[in-house]
Amino acid sequence: MLALIEKRTSRLALKAAGVLLVVAVIWLLGSRQNFGLQQYGQLVVAGIGTGAVYALVALGFVMVFTVTGIINFAQGAFVMLGALFTVTLYETPFTGEGRTGLIISALLAVVLTTVIGVVVERLTILPARNADPLTLIIITVGVYIAIQGLALIYWGHAGRTLPSFTTATGSDSIFRPWGLVIKAQTLWVLATMVLAFAVLSLFLDKTMLGKALRACSVNRDASRLMGINPSRMSAIAFGIAAALGAVAGIVLAPLTKPVYDMGLTIGLKGFVAAAMGGLISLPAAVGGGLLLGLVENLAAGVTKAGLRDVFAFIVLIAVLLRGRSRAGRFQ
Amino acid sequence: MKEAKRQAKGHRWWRLGLLTVVMLLVVAACGDDDAGTTTTAAEETTTTAAEETTTTAASATTEAPPVEGTAYKIGFVASETGPGSGLGVPEANTARMLAEQWAGGVTGPDGVHHSVEVIILDDESNADNGAALVTRLIEEDQVDVLVAGTLSGNALAMAPIAEEAMIAMISMASSRGIIESEGQTRPWLFKTPQDNQHSAAWQAEYLNSLGVTSVCYLYENGAYGQDTLNSAKQFFEPAGITIAFEGSFERTDTEFPIMTGAQASGCGAVVVGSIPPGSSSVTQAAREFLPDLPIIGGHGSCNSQYISLAPDAVEGTVLPCGKLLFADTLPDSDPQKANLLQYIADYTAFTGGEPISTFGGHAWDALMWAGEALSSLEENADLDARRAAIRDYVETEITDWPGTGGVFNISADDHLGLDYTGLGFVKVQDGGYINFPSSDW
Repeated sequence: MLALIEKRTSRLALKAAGVLLVVAVIWLLGSRQNFGLQQYGQLVVAGIGTGAVYALVALGFVMVFTVTGIINFAQGAFVMLGALFTVTLYETPFTGEGRTGLIISALLAVVLTTVIGVVVERLTILPARNADPLTLIIITVGVYIAIQGLALIYWGHAGRTLPSFTTATGSDSIFRPWGLVIKAQTLWVLATMVLAFAVLSLFLDKTMLGKALRACSVNRDASRLMGINPSRMSAIAFGIAAALGAVAGIVLAPLTKPVYDMGLTIGLKGFVAAAMGGLISLPAAVGGGLLLGLVENLAAGVTKAGLRDVFAFIVLIAVLLRGRSRAGRFQ
Repeated sequence: MKEAKRQAKGHRWWRLGLLTVVMLLVVAACGDDDAGTTTTAAEETTTTAAEETTTTAASATTEAPPVEGTAYKIGFVASETGPGSGLGVPEANTARMLAEQWAGGVTGPDGVHHSVEVIILDDESNADNGAALVTRLIEEDQVDVLVAGTLSGNALAMAPIAEEAMIAMISMASSRGIIESEGQTRPWLFKTPQDNQHSAAWQAEYLNSLGVTSVCYLYENGAYGQDTLNSAKQFFEPAGITIAFEGSFERTDTEFPIMTGAQASGCGAVVVGSIPPGSSSVTQAAREFLPDLPIIGGHGSCNSQYISLAPDAVEGTVLPCGKLLFADTLPDSDPQKANLLQYIADYTAFTGGEPISTFGGHAWDALMWAGEALSSLEENADLDARRAAIRDYVETEITDWPGTGGVFNISADDHLGLDYTGLGFVKVQDGGYINFPSSDW
């Protein structure tokens, strides 16, 4: 017992030392560029904005993983589809102009992507449902590559643009409190993330269907005995994940230039965020997403280099090593 | 939930899943668009093959002159897809246009007629692809001359291959390093775009006229961005301008944490060294974070994509650009004017009204040199002799040559042959480029 406590404290000390080291390095590099509170505040705000998108994607990973036990690498494709469908629908005349056009296009895009999510599950996961989970993961990678290829054929290689939600034009309104630069779209992203998280939590907690999904995640065989159809739950989980991905893509679209291959990086970062929380907890996935966005932005901001992805992948490697030591403990 | 946790940890394949991610990361690191573009590469090759046959067929059906000599081949590689496509597409369009104009072939000084074929390939903005395609053109297609390289990084990867095969390569990318290595001219390499030093000279003059003494320099990671930064360092300091902040970004980035540092440095102007989409995105970010500062671009942004990707943000920015963008306002005495207007008319007619960019002009200059060199050749030269003769022709005969990028005077010491007046200065106004000469500053 004592040994266990000791082990735990030493691990905690190690973690604290790691965090302190990162903070010290960031502070040191920042002070060389005369960074003050305003600069750090700016990087934190931008980091939370980016992190909120990762959090939305991570929620999709957690949904599919808990219910089906599959890591769905096609999640990034849903993000791309959500963004590009919205752009295309907005450009067609029948969805209308301005803000109404945007809302209609966004809703249609979410519906379309959700349908695609369910269809993908029925076509690729259902026939292989008795296969090894690793096989299923590889199938999702294949699905991702297939969807990206189709997107390249349909949308081409050039980046598109979507007007921002607030102004319905290319230039967003910007708030400048205390010298910070905050885009209205960043607030939309944050609000959407919080709303999606709340709705999802309520749905899983309060509704019968949500409870069935949760039952499936706890024990599939027992829930089958209780009359829950795990195959149906799997399709529903994929649908919800696709919807979450699409929403992430849509709120992100005005901040970036949606393009057919945007899903790979963002899907991987969403996965990193979800894996930081062990892939099974919704609040942990949100926390992981925000933390990842923060670390990435702070590190990129103080080093003057555009290598944001590098820092995200350093975090991934850290998560990998942690996951290994954890798995090792159980053997 | 505890139950689920145990379940999750118990599965050993969870770790295998992570392994998959690491592998995916490797793919991601090798280039964002690798996974999806394999199909395009295949498609691209087939279309080119089809075009090749049509070009040859066309030249075969034209009335054959008395003596038919060797068929000439020009190898052309541009970045038609990928992040460099804003530059590569007008270049490839220009190559197709000239291939059509040359369908009748050329007649040498000895009266022998030769068909001319332009083999057009796409390197997908990837330097490795570019190097592989150039090797293919040299060894399998046995081309006489190369016009290759949209992006500086790609051209630099192709250059040593051309040197080793002893074939002249005319680059459409701008880094000085393509034609010069440690102060020595690389004998087999030429380029048509103005130097980044020329851009920097204009930028320094403009900054002086504004009275700005410290700038934030934002450049893309890669050969082109690095070359613009080095050029700026070379020209800004003697002009009394310090670079208070230098920050780099990826060409495809849409978020720019470096803006925080730029803001903290308190510089008086922003200078951008990138091509679209990077230059558009970074200009947009600069407008948000430093709304009161003038923004100055480089000649890598002289195409319509720079404006179309962020029309509101780039409005009012100034940059040095080739005269192609304001040809109609030039005085008639300008030696380039006739060629510029001819190119604009031809290009517009050929593409059905695509916007003019200076990059198509770089391809035109390069291909015209190659075409001129080919028509100077005598029959009975073998391939190696032809390749050497083309190199010699470009080095010695392209003098007082009014192209789209300026009046070229190539010599053994200078394989570009332009000074900074090859560029003009423009301002983005009402979604287009307008002439902004120093008299208006």
